[in-house]
Amino acid sequence: MGSDSESLGAVDLMQNSLVRANVTGLAVLIMLFGLLLLASHSNELLRQIVITPGSSADLGVEAACREDELEEEQLSLQECRLMVVDVQIILSSSPAWFRPYQMTLSSFGIAAALFSIVTAFGLINRQSPPFRSVAVSMGILLLVELAGFLAAVNTGPLLRARYLWPLLLWFVVHLCVLVAAIRLAQQQGEVGSE
Amino acid sequence: MSEQQSREKSGERRQPRTIVLLHWLVAASVFFLFISSWWMLSLPLPSSEFIYRELPFQLHKNIGITLFLAVLAMAVTRAITSMASAKNGKTWLERLALWDHILIYFLLALCCLSGYMSSSYSGWATSFWWLVDFPSWSAENDELNILFSDIHMFSCWALLGVILLHICAALYHAFGNDGLVDRMFRLR
Repeated sequence: MGSDSESLGAVDLMQNSLVRANVTGLAVLIMLFGLLLLASHSNELLRQIVITPGSSADLGVEAACREDELEEEQLSLQECRLMVVDVQIILSSSPAWFRPYQMTLSSFGIAAALFSIVTAFGLINRQSPPFRSVAVSMGILLLVELAGFLAAVNTGPLLRARYLWPLLLWFVVHLCVLVAAIRLAQQQGEVGSE
Repeated sequence: MSEQQSREKSGERRQPRTIVLLHWLVAASVFFLFISSWWMLSLPLPSSEFIYRELPFQLHKNIGITLFLAVLAMAVTRAITSMASAKNGKTWLERLALWDHILIYFLLALCCLSGYMSSSYSGWATSFWWLVDFPSWSAENDELNILFSDIHMFSCWALLGVILLHICAALYHAFGNDGLVDRMFRLR
């Protein structure tokens, strides 16, 4: 009888330890993805601030390709000209609503990424890991990605090619983290009730 | 060593809150600098008409200089705390981790310094957060600009490689549940 309860206790301890390892692993993954997403949304915001309608490329000003600059940047003349074309592609394939929409969405994305980083800290610092907060933050991120996806779908093929694939990738990443958080919350509940 | 003992040992060496916050601030800055630099180098070359690069480059330099100061503060703090625990014996894995950290600090500092030097010789002024004008080392010098630009590029690629190893190590310790990763998350 005594050895039975001892071995049950050892199993409990092991299960607890496994759940804890998974929680720590999840925290690191959420932190890593949170930081990458923060950088990605910040860059998107910067991109929308910098590439403005009515700027030189939009007005058809010819590219300034000085020879010394080409050598410095290790660029061909054609690449230098295509850099201006690239800006023209973005500007002419963006509907009027797209820029303000993206700026708002990336601002939300930055806030949501920061929130997910806070939940990663919570997973380690709190005695009882805040799985509900993790699920909420992942839910918000999924909504941001869905909103981005719907917007990109309603633009032309040139913008769709730029935006859809990374958005799908992020959507899948956050969906996986959400499912992992839900399963870990269940596991912890099971260990706690035994 | 048992998992419990390992956790206790790691717990004893809790990092100061400032180091924890600086670590994550540096991580966020580094990721942003990598992602934004790949994009900003695809913008049209600068001229009086094409000013697309102005804001991203100035922001890149500002974050880089701030990053350098943060890295310096972290390195000094870590050097002091490491000296205090230098008497304790170290396993080969701990020694490897120590060298990994030294390499990260070195490459971070090299990336920041070479970037500043390259910018300095490019003839473009550096205004720290649009408040303080940094001195230029000399007039425009294409050769030195290219040299420091190359050092900047190669040190940054090397840094990316070391960071990936660092992330792998963090995940290895996290799923090993040895308490080591917890130290970089503890805020209390």
